[in-house]
Amino acid sequence: MKITTMLGDVLRSLLRPNSTQQYPAERQPDPERLRGKLVWNGEKCTGCALCVKECPALAIELITLDKAAKRFVMRYHIYRCTFCAQCVENCRFGCLQMSNTDWELAAADKSAFTVYYGKEHDIEMARSAQAASTKPEPAEG
Amino acid sequence: MPSERFVIPIGPQHPALKEPGHFEFSVEGERVTGATVRLGYAHRGIEKACEERNWVQSLYLLERICGICSHIHTTAYCLGVERLAGVEVPPRAQAIRVLIAELERVHSHLLWLGVAAHEAGFDTLFMYSWRDRETVMDVLEGLTGNRVNYSANVLGGVKYDLDEARAETIRKGVDYLEARTYYYLELVVHDPVFVQRTRGIGTVTREQAEWLGLVGPAARASNVARDLRVESPYAAYDLFPVQMVLETAGDLEARVSVRLKELFESYRVIRTILDKLPTGEIKGRMPKKVREGETVSRVEAPRGELFYFIKSNGTDKAERVKVRTPTLCNLAPMMTLAIGHQLADMPMLLAGVDPCFSCNDRSIVVRNAQEAETRWTWEQLRRYGIEVYKCKR
Amino acid sequence: MQAVIALLIFPGGLCVLLLGLAYEWLDRKLMAQMQNRVGPRWYQPVADLVKLLAKQETMPNGVNPLLFIGLPLVGLASVLTAALYVPLVGLAPSYSFRGDLIVTIYLLGLLTFCMSLAGSNTLDRFSLMGALRALTQLFSYEVPFLLALLGPALAAGSWQIAEISAYAETHWLILTQPLGFVVALIGLMGKLELSPFDAPEAETEIVAGALTEYSGRGLALFHLSRDVALVVGLTLVAAFYLGGMANPLWFFGKTLLLLLVVSGLQALFARLRIDQTVGLWWRYGMLLVLLQWLLMIVWR
Repeated sequence: MKITTMLGDVLRSLLRPNSTQQYPAERQPDPERLRGKLVWNGEKCTGCALCVKECPALAIELITLDKAAKRFVMRYHIYRCTFCAQCVENCRFGCLQMSNTDWELAAADKSAFTVYYGKEHDIEMARSAQAASTKPEPAEG
Repeated sequence: MPSERFVIPIGPQHPALKEPGHFEFSVEGERVTGATVRLGYAHRGIEKACEERNWVQSLYLLERICGICSHIHTTAYCLGVERLAGVEVPPRAQAIRVLIAELERVHSHLLWLGVAAHEAGFDTLFMYSWRDRETVMDVLEGLTGNRVNYSANVLGGVKYDLDEARAETIRKGVDYLEARTYYYLELVVHDPVFVQRTRGIGTVTREQAEWLGLVGPAARASNVARDLRVESPYAAYDLFPVQMVLETAGDLEARVSVRLKELFESYRVIRTILDKLPTGEIKGRMPKKVREGETVSRVEAPRGELFYFIKSNGTDKAERVKVRTPTLCNLAPMMTLAIGHQLADMPMLLAGVDPCFSCNDRSIVVRNAQEAETRWTWEQLRRYGIEVYKCKR
Repeated sequence: MQAVIALLIFPGGLCVLLLGLAYEWLDRKLMAQMQNRVGPRWYQPVADLVKLLAKQETMPNGVNPLLFIGLPLVGLASVLTAALYVPLVGLAPSYSFRGDLIVTIYLLGLLTFCMSLAGSNTLDRFSLMGALRALTQLFSYEVPFLLALLGPALAAGSWQIAEISAYAETHWLILTQPLGFVVALIGLMGKLELSPFDAPEAETEIVAGALTEYSGRGLALFHLSRDVALVVGLTLVAAFYLGGMANPLWFFGKTLLLLLVVSGLQALFARLRIDQTVGLWWRYGMLLVLLQWLLMIVWR
């Protein structure tokens, strides 16, 4: 029959500041291994598409513009991504990284959730090709 | 006297339940005279979906069966698939798997303690235990990058290695948690009001527990020696053996203290692994296709025995994945036990087995004898689901 | 004119309502601090009240509309009336007559009764269960609570709150009647259905108890009544046992000290089952208060 054990803790809590972190105002450093937004650096990409094949959420598309000249564009759908980093595991050339600083990905506009990676000129090409083809977006879910 | 039954519904939406499940308790005054359960509100068709995904994709889907014990689900799946494929997993990877599994157990049990305290109206204990749980969440985040759904497992090994700096953080966290766990154990055994709510409530004798098929801490509270980490050590549990924690009383208090005492075992195993981590690789080579065959993979989740049946047909997709989670074994016995208790004890009794409804709810086939058995493809199942919800709206 | 002001603005009416909201906030904030949380902002009770008052009230099928609307009003009216007889803010009670102690205690009891009636008025199972529990609890704490408050009356030789309070200014009854003080304070917690005596509204079992079906104005009024009852109850206990209510400073000092103790007790315990509550009051509460009376009579 001990009431006193809890009493001590309660009284101590009364005197010390609470342990809630006021998130947007108060921030902890980002953990080193935090898996945030996927970043693709296409310089060494060979277009093997292993990342695409094993993505559990079908969040990445690799658009091949010219296989021989190694011109690829990656289309990344953030809203589908489960941030499992399997693509990072799969890439043998270290082209893919998950940012540990860029993780506040909320946006008010849907277009922010589709990101293109690649050379600017290539992205333009991929975008226009995408607009020209009547292929509808694959259904969600 | 009352001829009509007065039924108190709990769920699918109810402040006591954080997940949808439906319980009906018929009461006479405050005394419960009957109890039924209805599950299936959180059915997501995961098992069927696994048949449409390749081995790697299924891994991340299965991780999402349960938010609290995500790692143990992937461990069970990985162990099964690796056995089927005949892949040798390096001992270091196995040890890291066990390490994360034990950290997950710590987080799960502390979470459960808070929930149980909340069900008993003891919100201060609830707040304290969840505050302290943040420590283990931070440790897990530092180790794997995420607070839940660590996705530390890959087929053939683990993604994340452990270095000395991280080991030191884990040691510090574990030291703090161990001191707190002593305090909680003291509290739940001695606090007069909390003890009144737990002692002698929902007592299961050893014979009953064996007969009703309880698993996990609920069974160990009734002195049934059932712990797969001891009985059939998987992953690295043969290198880092665990002592089984048993209680004899079989009531709610025993279920609380079994879980808390188990935590000390977890802390010890975590420290041993940190000290004696095998060296070497953390990933084995995994083929894309898995040779034909079937296997059963059993692991000890924080809530009890987790069972995976995996069948391969030689392609890059599974032919069948069947999951049986511990909650399913533990929930039905509680309905038998409920009768004769007070209505006020019901949330505590349910919380006592640490139910996880979304773990529970997977495919159920209701066979109609008149009709030939039909098998649906994933696409048909998806269409059906969409139609049903459109009609409801 | 003065009577109208005393009734509607100060120290009755508006002043009591604002005090009630302030004390509710303080209680919640103290609880939060003891649980290591942030807790509500200072305007949260007012914001809740405004929100609830503006919300549409849904009247479920099968209720008596007169009772459904009338009971919150009667409840609030009863506690506001009770506030007129106690030395609020350290001033002399606005109204006073011989035997007003009994009237005050029963006006406070009327609130619980209104809530139970409101619960039994609906067909909802949680409400019925909550009403049943609230009444059960009423029958368990009411007698010890009443006897504990009659102890000072006996010592002062008067049943008039103003006279007992004046007597208490020279006699700290907490020293001569410690058992009575404990029972009165805990009885107050039972009356206000605070944890650990919150079985009538245990959210993990019966959602919101008797008030489950109330959503708008009715709920706001019931909450407000409970806040006022908190102030009135704390004033009563402080005036009787903690050396009277000579001036506003003493009033705030003493009631806030009691509030701190009440919040601490709320944080310390798990919820009691209704059978345990009844057992506690009749086995221990009653015994303690009778022992106190026996000691008092022997002392004389």
